[in-house]
Amino acid sequence: MPKIVIAEDDQMISASLEAGFTQAGFEVALGGDGEEALLKIRESKPDVVLLDIMMPKLDGIGVVWELKADDELSKIPVVMLTNLSDPATVSKILEAGVTDYLLKSEQSIDEIVSKVTEVMNRG
Amino acid sequence: MTVLILLLVDFALLSIVLAFYLRRMYKERQALMGKADKSYELQQQMYQVEVLQEINERIGYSLEGNKVIEIITNSLGNLLEYETVSFMLYNKTETVVFKCHVHQSVNHRFISQVKEHMLRATETVCGGLDSNIKLDERIGGALLQDHLDIDVKSYVNIPVVIGNELLGLINLSSSKPDLFDHNQASVLFNITNQAAVAVGQLQTMLESEKGKLTGIIAAMTDGVLMVDLENKLEIYNPAVVDLLSLPVGRTITMFDILDSLAGKVDLRTKIEQALAKGAPVEVKEVLLHDKAMEITITPVRDHAGSQRGVAVILHDVTSEKSLEKLRQEFTAMMVHELRAPLTAVRWSAESLLKHLSDAKAQLESASVKDSVSNIDIAATNMLELVNDLLDVAKIEAGKFDLNIQEYDLSEIISEEVNTFKAQAESKHLSLNFITPGPIKVKCDKVRIGQVISNLLSNAIKYTDSGQVDIHLSVDSVTNQVVVAVKDSGLGVSREDLAVLFSKFKQLKTFDRTQKGTGLGLVVSRGIVEAHHGRIWAESAGENLGSTFSFSLPLN
Repeated sequence: MPKIVIAEDDQMISASLEAGFTQAGFEVALGGDGEEALLKIRESKPDVVLLDIMMPKLDGIGVVWELKADDELSKIPVVMLTNLSDPATVSKILEAGVTDYLLKSEQSIDEIVSKVTEVMNRG
Repeated sequence: MTVLILLLVDFALLSIVLAFYLRRMYKERQALMGKADKSYELQQQMYQVEVLQEINERIGYSLEGNKVIEIITNSLGNLLEYETVSFMLYNKTETVVFKCHVHQSVNHRFISQVKEHMLRATETVCGGLDSNIKLDERIGGALLQDHLDIDVKSYVNIPVVIGNELLGLINLSSSKPDLFDHNQASVLFNITNQAAVAVGQLQTMLESEKGKLTGIIAAMTDGVLMVDLENKLEIYNPAVVDLLSLPVGRTITMFDILDSLAGKVDLRTKIEQALAKGAPVEVKEVLLHDKAMEITITPVRDHAGSQRGVAVILHDVTSEKSLEKLRQEFTAMMVHELRAPLTAVRWSAESLLKHLSDAKAQLESASVKDSVSNIDIAATNMLELVNDLLDVAKIEAGKFDLNIQEYDLSEIISEEVNTFKAQAESKHLSLNFITPGPIKVKCDKVRIGQVISNLLSNAIKYTDSGQVDIHLSVDSVTNQVVVAVKDSGLGVSREDLAVLFSKFKQLKTFDRTQKGTGLGLVVSRGIVEAHHGRIWAESAGENLGSTFSFSLPLN
């Protein structure tokens, strides 16, 4: 069973994502903020990570930098999920080295699940 | 007699040319008063100074004392019979210039006598000459012939005074006796004097114009500098020193300017471009140290249309840029805030559809209820945010309409308190209203209710235990009524206190786990201020509770 850590502070969005991935056969761990997410990632060593950018304590980009700094964790593919589409943010995201990023408002849950699965399988 | 007339005509011509230039200068000044464009105005002003200084070149003399004397001396050329006309000029340095024009041949002895007469006169006028004085002699005109046996038999010394300064002496010497009688000496003296007065006035005017121009550009907040065609720095103002962070306390050179912009702007090239184009060249967004500026390079022309140099204007845009940055961040934030509930609605709908397409679906199932509920919540959130954004926009545009009537403020507060009772109870907080009784206030009931609701909602939201008190009081001294909401909750840090009521909050601390749009206080402030009241917050610090108050005028 593939493992995923989802970091998202909005409860409604978080719940929808959890439901979607659980249905698709994932084992889901949730983080309500950046720090919690990092904790969960370190604990469960997931196959893929789905991160929101705007979170309290440590934001999504900060989490990615932390992961990249760790030899083991840097190998985990990261998909950024966000509603921010301004060029400055996008370049920050890409600079940090995420594997892919998606705009929440443009994808349905199914689409997100399939894209994340694809990224995970790419390795 | 004809000679005298010639001289006067000479002088008249001089005056006419001068008047011509002065008139042009005044006309140009009138014309430019109407122009709004600063850089054009500046061009013209600078040009005026150039014009004044150029009078020198065009008609062959300058405002310098020695040249004036020379011209006067030359004009006197044909007036009377004399062998020599000379002038003695007292420089500020220790040399005395002695220039002698030999009209008709004389001998060396004659020249010495002329010199002697002039030096003695100088001693008398100046009260003694420094024995270290050096004499700079220049003798020109007809050749000196020592076989001639002549002496100076008559002479006249005319002092030349410009402003209050004795510039020198003019001397006419002749080998004929009694040549210069009292009348002639008077005439000479008057002519010389008038010329000196005219020059003095012109000098004063030049100083004054220069002073005005310097004054204008010194007072400008934009940095202004003028560079001539040889890339020499002619004029600059204090703003230039400030904007480019140049060394203070010494004169600035073109090198200083070029150095300070090295790596950011190739000013030399830009100047060349402007001159080649014959039109202004702009460099937007030059970042230097902690300042952002716009640089405009404009060619400066004279009245004939030929270029004389460029004016460079440095316009500080730092504050405009940071405001722009804040606005962009705010917009990005709001877009993000609207997208979140929209996404939730989409996904809830998606989940609902999936569920309902399942043949075994049950409409009452929990998951269906959740989805529908989520849609409802999200839609409500979005509506709140849109309403708040609309209010903020109205407030900023000054188009915030109020429906003012007289109401009992105590009653308005009571009603709001009632709506929050249940919420307070569920958090085990005590909610208390302390009032002195009915108080009539002219206000917009709905909007003030909104403010009170906002403050109560925040107080309850950010307090986990203890109480929330709302006080109503009257200050008869300032004729105001004050409503204060005090809570025993999270409190507010010093830095946050400053930005609480501003829409440009610290974006990092935006807490989305709490309900609300984040704009509540901004709108509350708008409402209170539209009532000509004040709103403020106090807090002893984090976890030490806070008090949010607003006042309304009473009458």
